[in-house]
Amino acid sequence: MSDKIIFHIDVNSAFLSWHQAYYRQIGRDENLLEDYYAIGGNEKKRHGIVLAKSIPAKKMGVKTGQSLMEARQICPKLKVIPPRYDVYVKASKKLRELLMSYTPLVEVFSIDECFMDMSGTSIIQKSVEKGAFFLKEKVKKEFGYTVNIGISNCKLLAKQASEFEKPDKVHTLFPEEVPHKLWPLPVEELFMVGNKTKIKLQRIGIETIEQLASCETSLLETLMKSHGRLIQQYAKGIDDSIFVKKEGLPFKGIGNGSTIAFDVIDQETARHILLSLVETASARLREANLVCNVVSVGIKSSEFLNFGKQRKLSFFTDVTQTLYQEAIQLFSEIWDGKPIRHFSVRFSNLEWSYRKQIHWFNSQIDYKMEALDPVIDRIRDKYGTYSVMRGCYVHSGLEPLLGGYPDDDYPDMSSLL
Amino acid sequence: MKLLNHPIEMIAVFDIDGKITPAKFRYEDKVVRVEKIIKRQKEKLAGNERWVFTCMHQQNYLYELKYEIDTQKWFLFKK
Ligand SMILES: [Mg+2]
Repeated sequence: MSDKIIFHIDVNSAFLSWHQAYYRQIGRDENLLEDYYAIGGNEKKRHGIVLAKSIPAKKMGVKTGQSLMEARQICPKLKVIPPRYDVYVKASKKLRELLMSYTPLVEVFSIDECFMDMSGTSIIQKSVEKGAFFLKEKVKKEFGYTVNIGISNCKLLAKQASEFEKPDKVHTLFPEEVPHKLWPLPVEELFMVGNKTKIKLQRIGIETIEQLASCETSLLETLMKSHGRLIQQYAKGIDDSIFVKKEGLPFKGIGNGSTIAFDVIDQETARHILLSLVETASARLREANLVCNVVSVGIKSSEFLNFGKQRKLSFFTDVTQTLYQEAIQLFSEIWDGKPIRHFSVRFSNLEWSYRKQIHWFNSQIDYKMEALDPVIDRIRDKYGTYSVMRGCYVHSGLEPLLGGYPDDDYPDMSSLL
Repeated sequence: MKLLNHPIEMIAVFDIDGKITPAKFRYEDKVVRVEKIIKRQKEKLAGNERWVFTCMHQQNYLYELKYEIDTQKWFLFKK
């Protein structure tokens, strides 16, 4: 048995908590956490979705990923605020900096979750739980929001522990506590047991984590191969993953997609739609100070067939024009001319923009474009989204900036600890 | 005091130790001299750092100024 002490820090209702702390700072007195609130994409559009919701909204049945229209039907009093990624990214970064002042071993798991290897650190010298409590209070006092801290001697159990009662709590889940604290829970509470796995497990009569831990391994392997073995190990509280110190990026990818109200059958319209998606997604890249070097494009035909392709660039960029050129190139390679109903673009393999390398082929135009984008972003920020738009959209009946529902994936969607 | 968070033009003193002291600012076309600073503290809400100055005007009137470090903007926060 390992004698390590691992903390898992999880920001409670992260986007809302951060937004709330930000509101407090700018002197707005709405209470986002205690009223019916959701953070969500573009409200006017049918593709706006709920990114985060308050506990009262959750109690009314509002779910993350739900369309805003649906959420409003369930909860008519719901107030929706657009996300402020700049605020969230900064909050996440400053939290990591604070955590790193207590141990150099901080592993970022997602925008609002970190692991800390606390073994041998001074704040846990007297009592591990008091150390965690101190840290939790420190975050609350300094940053104005609450976190849960889970404690154990491996990452898996620390993470499971922080999932217990929320908000603003410290929990332990040491191996000897697994039988009475973890096993009675429904199986879907276990890390890596998603909806599909849950259904498969229910079919063979597994409802609790205890049943999963004690069931025949070969049965699970037949049912879901190595994944079956992995989740059974987790159910037993076994996790041999190592601690990796990495300077985490807040997102894995930034993407944007849109369902079009009509069938798109010509190149020009398709290009305009791709450009409007690239405009919004690349602005989000720049807002978060990120650059990418993988561009992907996806289309869905009116018969609901999916086509997609991605390409790795030889350089990192956040320039709208460059990303758009890649996007249309990819598009022309996958489109067979059939009517299209849905478009998506995604930028991944991200890096902080201050590390961007100037690549050989950067032309004079690229430099100019690179300077131009932030200017346009600022104008749009100040005078409204439609204050500057490209000439090709005039009288086109198309939206110059599409999407705005972030299709970003966070590192917490990664499947491994 | 009323919450404003109103951006203002400011003249401030930055001393050699990096200490910041607001001196005078413009608000609604009036120039207000910062007479007395009662308290200065740093706040880090959501990780965003602002210096908060609680100031006194004409010996009886309290107000708050904030200086946001990342954006280098000054605000009349409360008056
Ligand atoms: Mg969280």
